[in-house]
Formats: sequence, structure tokens, C-alpha cells
Amino acid sequence: MARLSFQEKMLWAQLAGIVVVVVFYGYFLVHAGPGHHYFHALLLVLLFLFACVRTFFRRRSGSVVEDERDRSIAAIGSRWSNIILWLGLILILVLYWDHGSVHSAHFLIGVLFHLLVLAGSVRIIRELVAYRMAA
Amino acid sequence: MSSCLRNTIRELRAARSMTQQELADLIYVTRQTVIAIERDKYSPSLEVAFRIAHVFAVPLEHVFQYEAPSSGKK
Repeated sequence: MARLSFQEKMLWAQLAGIVVVVVFYGYFLVHAGPGHHYFHALLLVLLFLFACVRTFFRRRSGSVVEDERDRSIAAIGSRWSNIILWLGLILILVLYWDHGSVHSAHFLIGVLFHLLVLAGSVRIIRELVAYRMAA
Repeated sequence: MSSCLRNTIRELRAARSMTQQELADLIYVTRQTVIAIERDKYSPSLEVAFRIAHVFAVPLEHVFQYEAPSSGKK
């Protein structure tokens, strides 16, 4: 088995991050009482930290870290992610459209947030599978 | 689906005692891509194919061979 490339390591890190966020969200936040939890702010901070770490390791690595194969695999992942997003949006419109208005803005934002997490997870998993199939 | 392209990169590399990382650096791709090409798991772009041939100083058809899939009809 070939050693993991930089892109693959980053994908595994993203997947681990999503699992941690989902577990945190599913366990702590659901059991917490009402009020502000700054969950979305925490998520943005985590994304920013991840981008910083990624840039640091990318600069430190002297050799090529991304090439045409990475780009073609990224395109496959994006395609799957887009399909999930479009299907999800259509599903939301069909299920929750209530005589011209969706239930509430908070509810809609929540559903869209879940949809984004799902699309992101699908993209990462599809790319990891593509890397293993063409390794 | 298996690729119709076969290549002799491994043999060419071995003849020059070149590592996969060295070849990858010369053709501006990652080592994993060289591994995938050698195993016929990934067909490189025309540009990368020409770069490989240029590195080994051989014609392109010496590096890559196309095997037409059999139709299965008799």
C-alpha cells in the first residue's frame, strides 16, 4: 500500500474533524439547555485553525503536493457533493414548503447546515475511495 | 474498468536506478501519482506522458503502449 499523500492526509484530517463536530453536536448540544451555545462560532474557529495548519504543512513540504490526479479526484468529489446539495435542496423544497413559506428561518438554517455537513462528508469519503482505487 | 494503457516506466526507472520520488520531482507530480501510473491505475495527461518520455529520453510509444480491448465477438 502506497504511503498517504499530502491530500489524503488532509482528507483524513477533515473526516476526523467532521466526526468530532458531529459527535459534539449530537451529544453535548442536544443535551444542553436552551440559549446561545456559540456552536457555529466554534465551528468557524475550527475551520480557520485547520486552514492555518494545512497552509503551514503545505509550505513546509518541499515536493509537489498537488497534481493533475489530485485535481481530477477533487472534481469527482465536488460532483458528488453538488449532487447531494441539489437533491437536498429539492427535498427541502418539496417536504417543507408550506403554502409558499417555509416553517421558520431557524429551522431552515438548521436543515441547510446539516445538508452542508452531509455534502462535505460525502465529498471527503468519495475522494478517499477514489484515492484508494487509483493508488 | 481496467486501463488499455500499458507502460514500461518501472523498467525504465530501474535501468537508471531512479526512485519514484526522483521521477515524481522531475515530472512535477506526487510520488503517489507515479505509483498509480506504474500500476496502470491512472492514465496521465498527454503533457505528463511527454514529460516522462522526455526524462527517459525515449519516444512516447516506448513508454506507453495502447492495447485495444478485444470486442468479444467471433
